[in-house]
Amino acid sequence: MKHQILSRPAASVAKLKMDDGESLTCEVGAMIAMTTGFEVETTTRKKGAKGGGLGKALKRMFAGESLFLNHFTATNNGQSLIIGPRMLGDVLHFPLTGGSLIVQGSSWMASDTDIEIDATWQGFGKALFSGESIFWLKCSGEGDLFLSSFGAIYEVEVDGEHVVDTGHIVAFEDTLQFNVTKAGTSLIGSFLGGEGLVCRFSGHGRLFCQSHNPPGFGKALGPKLKPR
Amino acid sequence: MIEFSCPSCSKKYRVKDDVAGKKARCKECGAPMPVPDVAAATSEAAAGMDAGSSEVLTGSTPHFDYEISQRPDFALISINLEEGQKIFAEPSAMASMTPTVTLKAGFKGGLGKTLGRALGGESMIINTFTADNGPGEVTFAAGATGDAARYTLTGNSLMLQRGAFMLHSEGVEVSGKWQGAKGFFNGEGLVLLKASGDGEIFFNSYGAILSVDVTEEYIVDTGYVVAFEDTLNYNISVLPGLRGGSKLKTLFFGGEGLVCRFSGQGKVWIQTRHVQSFLSWANPYRPSTSR
Repeated sequence: MKHQILSRPAASVAKLKMDDGESLTCEVGAMIAMTTGFEVETTTRKKGAKGGGLGKALKRMFAGESLFLNHFTATNNGQSLIIGPRMLGDVLHFPLTGGSLIVQGSSWMASDTDIEIDATWQGFGKALFSGESIFWLKCSGEGDLFLSSFGAIYEVEVDGEHVVDTGHIVAFEDTLQFNVTKAGTSLIGSFLGGEGLVCRFSGHGRLFCQSHNPPGFGKALGPKLKPR
Repeated sequence: MIEFSCPSCSKKYRVKDDVAGKKARCKECGAPMPVPDVAAATSEAAAGMDAGSSEVLTGSTPHFDYEISQRPDFALISINLEEGQKIFAEPSAMASMTPTVTLKAGFKGGLGKTLGRALGGESMIINTFTADNGPGEVTFAAGATGDAARYTLTGNSLMLQRGAFMLHSEGVEVSGKWQGAKGFFNGEGLVLLKASGDGEIFFNSYGAILSVDVTEEYIVDTGYVVAFEDTLNYNISVLPGLRGGSKLKTLFFGGEGLVCRFSGQGKVWIQTRHVQSFLSWANPYRPSTSR
């Protein structure tokens, strides 16, 4: 599978060239355009997996992803597929080589069908406790991973400690330890300061952040919209 | 940005393009390492695919000279008119103009065509900008952030998605075209605009515009179609290659909605974002009615 990220950074899409038998699992609604040599399958579970699908699907839904996944399998050589996110922002390609990447739920866009996507990971409880509806998916295995951001994506090489607002996290390598805490010294102070909760990373590893925070934009936009 | 790793300890680096080819020392292990050339670092990406670019598009036509700048996110179209030359634009698209240009609003092309345009999601009024008092410049920008593109009509027709039309030169007619049952389910508007004649047409998108040369068949989600040449046949359908019984599942649960299946020879322009899908993201943030 060959890929190219086009029209960066605000209107980015991923263009994929796939050969016979290669397949990609995508977030629902990610497909923009494609050639005709694809078989498309919608499931609640990893392609080819038997049983246990619904439980994982429900967890994925809690993680801000849709209950369903679309699998695109090329049935011919030289097929092309264009996928893109909903929000204005960038697309990041991350080649997984056996390790694991923790991805913020709504930033996951597509991955190689061989990659295991798990929302049942033990860090789940920690994130749940934070109250800021942050849910993370653990992606592991080998293959290509495509992530999306709201705004630009920047990378931080963490060596020691680093603090990021929970809304600005896209993904991080699981070699990093983390702790969800309040930003300031007092709980009231940190909420009045508008910073809410932060993630305190430590150890060695790569961290990907987004320049803008989607819920932050939603809250700025909401009061100006017609009531439901 | 160039991405590479240290040859001795394989620590990964990302550096700016202007240090390409220079020698550096690894921060981790102290070994000397050369920074690869931009060309070498991006050769994989360049392998035979066209990039949606930020290139400024300029050119001259028999009707006027033009420039499309600030692409692909905030496209701005400047039209340079010589004395007496005209450009026709969708209302509210004008951003600025020199005082030599006069603006006249009006219905164009008779009642039938005007109503057709209105059904196609465009205004009934078309503004005419004329350089009456010497050469002038008019700039245009679309309502949504995104890209713009130009197309030259030479007696053929171009079909435009609802809301995509921006400007046209003299010699071009824009009218609504009823799609009948074909457009009925797609929720993207029942009418496509049809531009035909001899001249220039400019259209806009939400997100960047990518152009695709269709030689046999190509599939585009209906929400992402911006324009296509009328040499192409098209069909609205669900995603292909599905086994019997699973069609409806992909349609309703797969979220891909309906797709436009093009066949024949011609060009299709697609946009990289969809307003409707942004709106469905924003919807939960709307305040609820207090009763």
